Order: sequence, then C-alpha cells, then structure tokens
Amino acid sequence: MRVRCRPVAARLQASALRLGQKLWWYLRQMSGDAAYENYLRRAGARRSRTSALHTATGNDLPHRSGSCDGPPLLSAEQFYLDVLRRRYSGVSRCC
Amino acid sequence: MKRLGKVVVWAGISLLGAGALAAIALERGEPVNSTWLIVAAVCFYLLGYRFYSAFIAAKVLALDNTRATPAERHEDGRDFVPTNKWVLMGHHFASIAGPGPLIGPTLAAQFGYLPGMLWLVVGAVLGGCVQDFVILFFSIRRDGKSLGQIAREEVNTRAGLIALVAILSILVILLAAVALVVVNALRSSPWGSFTMLATVPIAGLMGLYLRHWRPGRVLEATAVGLLLTGLAVVAGEWVAGSPRLSALFTLEAIPLAAAIMLYGYAASVLPVWVLLAPRDYLSTFIKIGVMFALAGGILLVRPEVEMPALTQFIDGTGPVFAGTIFPFCFITIACGAVSGFHALISSGTTPKMISREGHARQIGYGSMLLESFVGVMALVAACSLQPGVYFAINSPASIIGSTPEQAAAVISSWGYPLQPQTMQELAAAVGEQTLLHRTGGAPSLAVGMAHIFSSVIGQGRLLGFWYHFAIMFEALFILTVLDTGTRVGRFMLQEFFGHFWKPFGRKNWWPSVYLTSFLMVGAWGYFLYQGVVDPYGGINSLWPLFGIANQLLAATALVVATTVLLKMGRKRWLWITLLPTVWLVAVTMTASYEKIFSPEPRVGFLAEANRLAAAVATGAIPAEQVAVTERVIFNYRLDAAVTAVLAGLVLLLMLEAVREWYAVLRGNKQPVLHEAPYLRTRLVEGD
Repeated sequence: MRVRCRPVAARLQASALRLGQKLWWYLRQMSGDAAYENYLRRAGARRSRTSALHTATGNDLPHRSGSCDGPPLLSAEQFYLDVLRRRYSGVSRCC
Repeated sequence: MKRLGKVVVWAGISLLGAGALAAIALERGEPVNSTWLIVAAVCFYLLGYRFYSAFIAAKVLALDNTRATPAERHEDGRDFVPTNKWVLMGHHFASIAGPGPLIGPTLAAQFGYLPGMLWLVVGAVLGGCVQDFVILFFSIRRDGKSLGQIAREEVNTRAGLIALVAILSILVILLAAVALVVVNALRSSPWGSFTMLATVPIAGLMGLYLRHWRPGRVLEATAVGLLLTGLAVVAGEWVAGSPRLSALFTLEAIPLAAAIMLYGYAASVLPVWVLLAPRDYLSTFIKIGVMFALAGGILLVRPEVEMPALTQFIDGTGPVFAGTIFPFCFITIACGAVSGFHALISSGTTPKMISREGHARQIGYGSMLLESFVGVMALVAACSLQPGVYFAINSPASIIGSTPEQAAAVISSWGYPLQPQTMQELAAAVGEQTLLHRTGGAPSLAVGMAHIFSSVIGQGRLLGFWYHFAIMFEALFILTVLDTGTRVGRFMLQEFFGHFWKPFGRKNWWPSVYLTSFLMVGAWGYFLYQGVVDPYGGINSLWPLFGIANQLLAATALVVATTVLLKMGRKRWLWITLLPTVWLVAVTMTASYEKIFSPEPRVGFLAEANRLAAAVATGAIPAEQVAVTERVIFNYRLDAAVTAVLAGLVLLLMLEAVREWYAVLRGNKQPVLHEAPYLRTRLVEGD
C-alpha cells in the first residue's frame, strides 16, 4: 500500500509545484515585475532574427556597422521610467 | 455522446439560472439568501459568454485568428507586445474595474435589490460586454487606434471632435463625483484620514525603491507597501483613540476636499514614479485582492439579503438620490452594466498587446462580465445591511434629520425599523464618531463588507479594522482614478492648447504642465466643492450627472460601432449594437430632460434653483446664508447647462451617424472601411 502511495504523493507534489510556478509566473507577468526581462528577451530575439537574415542574404555590412541592431538597449531604470511614461500618457484606469 | 453531454450541462445551467432568477424575483416578505443572486448572475454570465459572445465572434465580427494583430505587425517590445491572453485579461480587468461598480449598485440599492441586480446582469451581457468586445475588435483591426480616431475615420471629423469633448467632460464630472465619495467617507474620521494620509509617504518610499534601489521590482516594492499600509490601518485605531492626534486628523468636508485637490495637482505635475505609479501598484493589488476576498466571503458567509426586492422609492422619492426607477436606476449603475469609459481602455493599450483576434472575446467580453460580477457582489454587501441602517448612512441630514433620534423616527416611518442606539452602537463598533448621513455609498458598502469579512475572520470582533480596511481600499483606488484621470485630462488640454500655441503642446514644458494641471483640477475641484456644499449631500446631483456622462459616452461608442458594422456589410446583425444604443439614448435623454426640467426640486436642477431663488427673494433665507444660497443656485444652473451640453453633443453625434447610415444604405456613399490590410500571422499556436 505504501509503495502505491508514494508515486501518488510525488505526482501531487509535482502538480502543486507546477501550479505554484505557473501562479508565480502569472503574478510576475501581471504586475509588470517581469517586464524588463521580457524586454531583454524580445530585443535579443529580434537581434538574432536580423542577424540570421543578414547571414542568409550574405549581406553583413549593416550588421557590422551596427545599424541593424536598432536603438541601444535601455537599462532597467530607463526601461522602468519609459514604461511609466507610456502607461500614464493615456487612459489607464477606468471609473 | 459528447455533444449530448454538453447539451445536458448547458440545459442544466439554464434551468438553474432560471430557477435562481425566479427565486429572487418572486420572493416576497422573507429575506432571500444572497446565494440565489450569485447563482442567477453566474448562470446568466456563463450562458451569455458561451452563446451570445460566441455568436458575435463567429457571425457578426468573424474573428480571424490567421490575421496578424497590431501587437505582431508593429512589435517593438514596448507599446506593441504580443501578450499571453490570461495576462492581458488581468491587465484589462484591472484597468476597467474602478469604484463605479462598487458605488453605483450600492446607491441603487435604495430601489431594492431586484432592479439593480437585473440591470447589472442583463445590461452587461447584452450591452456593456458587447460594447467592450466590439470596440476592442475594431481597434485591433485599425492598428490599435483610439475611439476618437475611429469615430473621426469611420463617421467623420465632427464626430471625432464630439467624442473628444465628451471624453474630457466625462473625466471632469467623474473625478468630481468620485472625489466626493472619498470626502464623505473620510469626513470626521481620524482613523480613515490617517490611513489615507499614510499611503502618501508609503507610495513615496515605494517610488524610491522602484526607481533607484531595485528598478522595476514591482512585487518586492508592493509587498513592502502592502505591509506598511496594513500597519497604517492598525495604527489608525490608536490615532483615533489619542485625543491630540485624533483632533489633528479629524477633517471636515471642505478642508478634505481642498486636500484632495492639492493631492490631484501634485500627482499631475510630479514625475509619475514619485507618487502616481507606486500608489497605482498598491491600489491595484489591494483592489484585486479585496474583490476575490469579497467573493470568497460572500460564498462562505452566504448573508441574507435584508433589503426587499422593491422598495417604495421606485416612485422617485428616494432619500439616497431622487428620481424614478426609470431612468435613474440605469444611470446610477453605469459601470458594472454599461460603461462608456471602457471603450477608451478597449481602444487604448489592450488592442496593441493582443496576440490573436480570437482572444478579443475573452478579454473584451469576459473582463466586462467579471466587472459586472463585482457590481453584483457590491449589491449583495449593501443589501445585506438592515435597510434602516442602509438608509441612515446614505440619506442626507436635510431628509432624515441630524440626530440619531430624528433619523430613527423618519426611517422607521418609511417601514424600516431603526432604533437610535443601533446607529450609535454601530458607529462605536467601527471606531467612528457617527455613521449618520455618510452619503456617497462608500461607508455603507464598507459596513457591509466589514460584516462579511469579520464573520469569516475575527468572529465579529474585528469590525472596526475591517471597516477601515474597506474604507482604505475604496479611497485608495478612487484616488488612483483621480490622479491618473487628472493627468490624462492635463495631456488632453495640452494637446488642445498646442493647436493654438506650439509650446503648450509639449508635455514637459513646465508652464504648460502647471497651467493645464491647474485648469483640470480647478474644473473637477469646482464640481467637488459644489457637491460638498450641496444641501442634499452632493451625490444627488453629481452621481446622476456622472452616470449621464458615462452612458452618453457608451452611446457614442455604440453609435460608432454600429456605423462600422454597417460598413462591414453586417446589416442583418446591426441590432447587436443598435439595441443597446437605442436603450442608452432613451435612458440618458430621459434622465437629462428630467434633471434639467423636472418640476420636482430634488430631481430638476432648474426647479431647485428657482425654488431657492424664490426663497431668497421672499426673505425666507437668513441673511447670513444668502451668499451661499446664491452660489448653490448658480451651481444648479451650471449643472443644468452641463447636462444640456452633454445631451446635445450626443444628439449631434447621432445625427452625424444617422446621415452616414442613410447615405450608405441608400447607396449614395461607398462604404469605406479604414482597416489595416490583411497580413497572415507568423505566430504559432499557443503564442
């Protein structure tokens, strides 16, 4: 009986852990806590897409000159202030 | 077999909902358990979402998941970001859910629980959710353009201008109305005033943390803020108990109103990271937490609804606000049923972050259903109070008298028994000097919530803590609406003045910042002051004005939506938006007419102004009060003019739209849609 209970308990524990991780992820996304990480990840992905495009077309001149990299990455503080500026420039809270 | 199972489940939900509705509608004499209201609402929401929103999504709007949304087309990692639909739904809900769905149903409870309940549920499913959903969809198809821009492109330039003026007007009236709610909640309450004042340095500390110490670490800063705010609520009791500190924090209505105006001005001119943003984080967390806690509390406690299904005040003689059930119930409950302001959020940031058109149904329609449910919970909390207590808190002194004895006698004569000591004991239990004529809805809602929370935690002993926690929760996010609204109004004024002189349009040019903030605060501050000195408590005139403005904005949004549907060739389905439009126009025009021309002084602005003018002329007003009375007379005439302008603007917009519809239907004009061209999405399923 104990042998059968263990996998059930382990599965429950794993499910609870997954649920906790999901909730934590949701909370961080919802609150904006993960916004800077998302920004860095997306900027990185965009740069690697552009880089891959240049490699595929054999045109690496713009890449070398840095013009395809887009604007320089913002620091965490700059990004936070930028988020606030954009959020509070329009109607962000309702009645 | 699977299909049969689904049919059985949905038939069961329909029967359960119908049964619960019958129980609350037909029950007379005995108190109804709140569970019936919750079950009826949830079943109706489920049916509305499953069938009506699916029908709109598939047949009317034809949502296309293969089409790239603005978030994908213009992805920049900042404004345009494809976002998980649950996360975006959370953002959208946090943006649309303000004090309206809490205050409106609480005030409308004077008609009984039934009218408010039916309007909240039916209005949301057939009107409010539809508006939010279609405007969100139209904005997605137009690269995330705002309601004003859509009106300009799809109807004409004049319509765009009317929408802009309507938005600015509603902002001014809204901010004044919600500020008055805070004034009435904190007036003569050292505990409440101290707690609210404490949130300002707490927000400042959070601002420093988020800007300099741990940039962007919202959860850490909010955890610190929540802890300190909780301590401030606890410390408030000690402040109220100390004679010296209590005297310091006991503020009357006019100084409180001045303090709120000062706060609004500071929040508008200071950089957002200092005060506005950290308070917003704090209030959003508390708001969502309390809404879940209230839902849980109601399900656990299952309070009896003490208010009858219908009261005698449906005839228009209500003490909380004057006016018959039609149209005033539908004006008083705007947010929670249909709110024009939501159209601004649905055409704001949400359409720029949605990753698939199909998500618009869940985010637009679904979020509004949640807000409606918040309204139902507020209604339950208010109606679970003894009706006598409810009317004693929400009626002005000019109607029920200024002493507990007078109030008890008047309210008991209405058929709602109330002992004078009941109110004194209740005030003592929640740590207040008095709860009599605390108009505005917030204190009675706080008492209702405190009863529910203290039944779950504290076994009734923590009534004072929970009451002040609820007041802090309401005041905190009302002030967040106030500061963000003032700032948006400032930007709109700057943009407007920028057309005449370029430097004024620069958002960081200090003379412009100071002047436009002053104008905006001055505008809503004037109406707030007017509400504070109003002999009927202010809510009687300001809340209907706010309701009219908000519903007129909803009518504007629905008129624009109908125009777009017509241009899309959906003539057959025009009733989807046309029906709520016709209803809202009928409600708001009737309410506007009555607020201006009704001969009953408590309803009609002009009648009350004339009554007071006659009293001044005949010498019935004491000499020392003549100046104040003349100001009140001017205020009522101003209210009548504002109502007329708002109604006139919407009639004008209707006229513009009807001309456009006629031209399209007659074939005199080629319908041109201003949608972004089709581009196939490159996002994979699950993005």
